[in-house]
Amino acid sequence: MSATVGLPQGMLYHRYGLLWRTFFQELGIETVRSGQTTKEIMDRGAALCVDEACLSAKIFLGHVDALVGRCTYILVPRVSSFGHKRMMCTRFEAMPDIVRNVFRDRGQQFLHYDLDVNQHHDEPDAFLALGTALGCTKKAAKKAYAAAKKEERRRYKERVAAEEALYKKEGMKILIAAHSYVIEDPYLGRPVLDILKGLGAIPIRADLTDREAAVKRSAELSPTIKWEMNREILGGLAAHWDQVDGIVLLSAFPCGPDSMVNEIILHQIRDVPILNLTLDAQSGTAGVETRLESFVDIIHFKEGTL
Amino acid sequence: MTPGPIATGKKKIAFPRVADYSGVFRYWVEQCLDQTYILQPKCTHHTLEVGARYSPDSVCTPFKTALGSMIEALDLGADTLVMSHGLCRLGYYGELMEQILRDLGYQFEFVNFAAYSTGRSKDLLKGVKQLAPKMKAARFLTHVMDGVKMCAYIDDITSKYYQNCGFDPSGTYRAAFKRFLRAMDMVHSRPEIDEAYREASYAFAQAPLDKPERPLRVGVVGEFFTVMDAFSNLDLEQTLADMGVEVHRWMNVSNRIFHYPGEKNLNVEIRDLCTYEMGPTSTATIWAARKYARRGFDGLIHVKSAGCTPEIDVMPVLQTIGREEKIPILYLTYDVQTGEAGLMTRLEAFYDMLAMRKEVL
Ligand code: SF4
Ligand code: SF4
Repeated sequence: MSATVGLPQGMLYHRYGLLWRTFFQELGIETVRSGQTTKEIMDRGAALCVDEACLSAKIFLGHVDALVGRCTYILVPRVSSFGHKRMMCTRFEAMPDIVRNVFRDRGQQFLHYDLDVNQHHDEPDAFLALGTALGCTKKAAKKAYAAAKKEERRRYKERVAAEEALYKKEGMKILIAAHSYVIEDPYLGRPVLDILKGLGAIPIRADLTDREAAVKRSAELSPTIKWEMNREILGGLAAHWDQVDGIVLLSAFPCGPDSMVNEIILHQIRDVPILNLTLDAQSGTAGVETRLESFVDIIHFKEGTL
Repeated sequence: MTPGPIATGKKKIAFPRVADYSGVFRYWVEQCLDQTYILQPKCTHHTLEVGARYSPDSVCTPFKTALGSMIEALDLGADTLVMSHGLCRLGYYGELMEQILRDLGYQFEFVNFAAYSTGRSKDLLKGVKQLAPKMKAARFLTHVMDGVKMCAYIDDITSKYYQNCGFDPSGTYRAAFKRFLRAMDMVHSRPEIDEAYREASYAFAQAPLDKPERPLRVGVVGEFFTVMDAFSNLDLEQTLADMGVEVHRWMNVSNRIFHYPGEKNLNVEIRDLCTYEMGPTSTATIWAARKYARRGFDGLIHVKSAGCTPEIDVMPVLQTIGREEKIPILYLTYDVQTGEAGLMTRLEAFYDMLAMRKEVL
């Protein structure tokens, strides 16, 4: 089998990258990645995308564009739901068809899978369909998924443990509430982490946490919240907000779920300083730096350590 | 939650204003639940301003309108607010709204159907029970069906109205439509509902129309709330009709909720454009847009509120339709700042373009 699968390194790649790579590797299918976000990828994506969409979607389209013509298929899954009130932002439902229409005349083939537990397609089903669509036997696909899932779990546990260890460190701890693809992107969240470290603070990610437990705990801060990834973040906040000196709510502009959930967080957590930081394509990191500096100053001032 | 019934024994219930359906909510509250309904006056710019002042900036506009509408109801003496559950962000409106209103110091009972929505309809009934503990099932059901019928009548009359009112020199359509909507806000029984509908249909049928054989036809598609709510879309349909356009809109409560053919059934016809359900109204938007294009309409208008994620995501598909079916599409986004003058300029330019194309073709 000589088909190659392209993996755009935006949005869900930050959640599923390892699962995808291991799955295809187990099946002996070669993968190609679009690489880290660059200025070029961002600009290209912004040009292809509807202007009103969020920055994360623009960056994602840039990554897809970087792969067009370089692989047999580009993987763009549809991820909709994990159960009742466990929804993804609708943009993840729409993405395969957005991509199909934006790249309609480019002669590129795309590969999808449909993860929608509310419609009875769970993850094992989705990967079975994905594997067989690529010509593998059911048995091989199942085996590859099982191996990939195991690897994903193992690695995720390690990452969570490393993150939790940070709470025990001495120093000013700042909890960051952000989607993985925002916090990990070299053009969005990465500079925020670097700036905070440069200011002597210890940034800790709220989303790197035991997901199942966090989803349950999210109700403490918001009883009717319905977005899975926001629930994970809220659960992380609920578990740890009293162990940190400050919280940064970090969103890509304009984010549908965050626009509401951040407001709820601001209403619910009143005892810790919170900075609401929205990143857009124009702002760059200059303004961000100043705001983070003064936020850290405020915390010092409040704690009498200035 | 604050304690229940007050002195009169009846709750004063309110729901945000939604297009012309407020009469239906009123009917349900009064007839099904035997409680009092607080009907706010029509939304004004002030409603939206107040709502926007207390809302997070980047929340979609219907939240702001709904919040403003709730504040007006509270100021009118409502003591019980109801919020629906729903797809998309709508299902989360209630919780945020309650937070904001409580922080503003309002006292009220809040019945949030999102909190009762567990995926099983019997749990939703618990929400209804909270509103009317002594509710009788038989009476309840009959009157629920009356309300469904009201929606069907409102949708039928509204759709006929905008298709024809631009060609109505005697003003008969306009007068009958106004009378009908006023009646829908006041009816108490099924015979009254039927009578109002009969009267409006009769008036429409009698009106002498001055309509060219091939008038300009425009299909309006888009986000559920903004596309139906004349206040929110700055009277888009009336403005178009007044220019001499036959205006069609498939999206309404009857079509999308009560008689919805289903995501899968509609999707079959647009498989070449989209594989999956992309969002709560996406399939309907795409399906209607292509249907209008293939029926030879002159143009399409896509309506959404600022920040409406699912309808933003439909736009690449609509652009494909525009290209492949060779039909002009105007994209309108409404936010708190959208002004009538700016909208008018864009609509006039769009109209001129459609009129010119029609002459050439
Ligand atoms: S959650 Fe926010 S950032 Fe993520 S896709 Fe949706 S709108 Fe974009
Ligand atoms: S459909 Fe659009 S306007 Fe309605 S709740 Fe969703 S994002 Fe907001």
